[in-house]
Amino acid sequence: MMRRSDHMPLYYFHIHNGTGFTRDEEGQELSGPAEAHETALAGIRSLLADELEGGGIDLDGRIEITDSAGGAIRTVSFGQAVAVNPPGSKSR
Amino acid sequence: MIEKHLMRLRARDNVSAHEEQAIRDAMLDPVDVAARTTIIRAGQLLSTSTMLLEGLMCRYKDLRNGERQITELHVAGDFVDLHSFSLKRLDHNIMALTPCRIAPVPHDRLTRITEEHAHLARMYWFSTNLDAAIHREWEVSLGRRSAISKTAHLFCELHVRLGLVGLADETSYDLKLTQVDIAECLGLTAVHVNRTLRDLREQGAVEFSKGRVTIGDMTKLRRIAEFEPAYLYLERQHE
Repeated sequence: MMRRSDHMPLYYFHIHNGTGFTRDEEGQELSGPAEAHETALAGIRSLLADELEGGGIDLDGRIEITDSAGGAIRTVSFGQAVAVNPPGSKSR
Repeated sequence: MIEKHLMRLRARDNVSAHEEQAIRDAMLDPVDVAARTTIIRAGQLLSTSTMLLEGLMCRYKDLRNGERQITELHVAGDFVDLHSFSLKRLDHNIMALTPCRIAPVPHDRLTRITEEHAHLARMYWFSTNLDAAIHREWEVSLGRRSAISKTAHLFCELHVRLGLVGLADETSYDLKLTQVDIAECLGLTAVHVNRTLRDLREQGAVEFSKGRVTIGDMTKLRRIAEFEPAYLYLERQHE
């Protein structure tokens, strides 16, 4: 992962989930769309890990990544961030 | 120039005019440091300690995967790496988070303070013990507190520490940190911090926006944080 520098573009991570919409007013300086995607995945996992401590997770959410002009870069759904194996889904 | 440092010392103990002069005599000329500059790298041999006159600094360690853990924040008036006087090198890095003004204090002059100003030396011993107490509180946050609780806790701690040096009023203070910085203090991601800040704001406890912390309900904020200021040893204990 690259550290912050003067030359990197800003990416914004807006969260939509069961608790509503959380706008990102600040953004993060990242090397490009690939790192922004990774940052969204890590962010979703961090949110879900906290939720799981409370006994459940809501995978019905998404992060919309935009650039500093507000243009859509991509949308990452919470489901993309975790692989879930339901009970009994693996053969013995 | 060392007013904030003196405010911090005098919050807990008396500093005589003689001791105040000894501190002034120990300091080299102040140096300005740009934001995001790492001034001390782990392992480097040190012959001076750093007093923070203005700005915010942090201690941090980097992991191989690019993640960073900030292990303590330092505010104006803190003697940031007094530890290096006895350790001679640090096991972590020290970085300016905002534009900072620092004053280096050579270790041989600190040796003279320990020899000629025993009470002041004990105050500096207290200061490193206080850093250890703050580290313990952060351990509890990092290991056990929920995201919302540890975020609230950080805002409570900084309110007290900045208040001691005249940089906070009853319910607000400047904090020129990004959500990434906050995340690196708390072991969270910036995305998670943003979501957590929304929670704190909607509950009316605290708002952090554009470099300013505004506490809406101190009782609620401290309850969410389980904040007990005893670990900051605020009582006066002059000898």
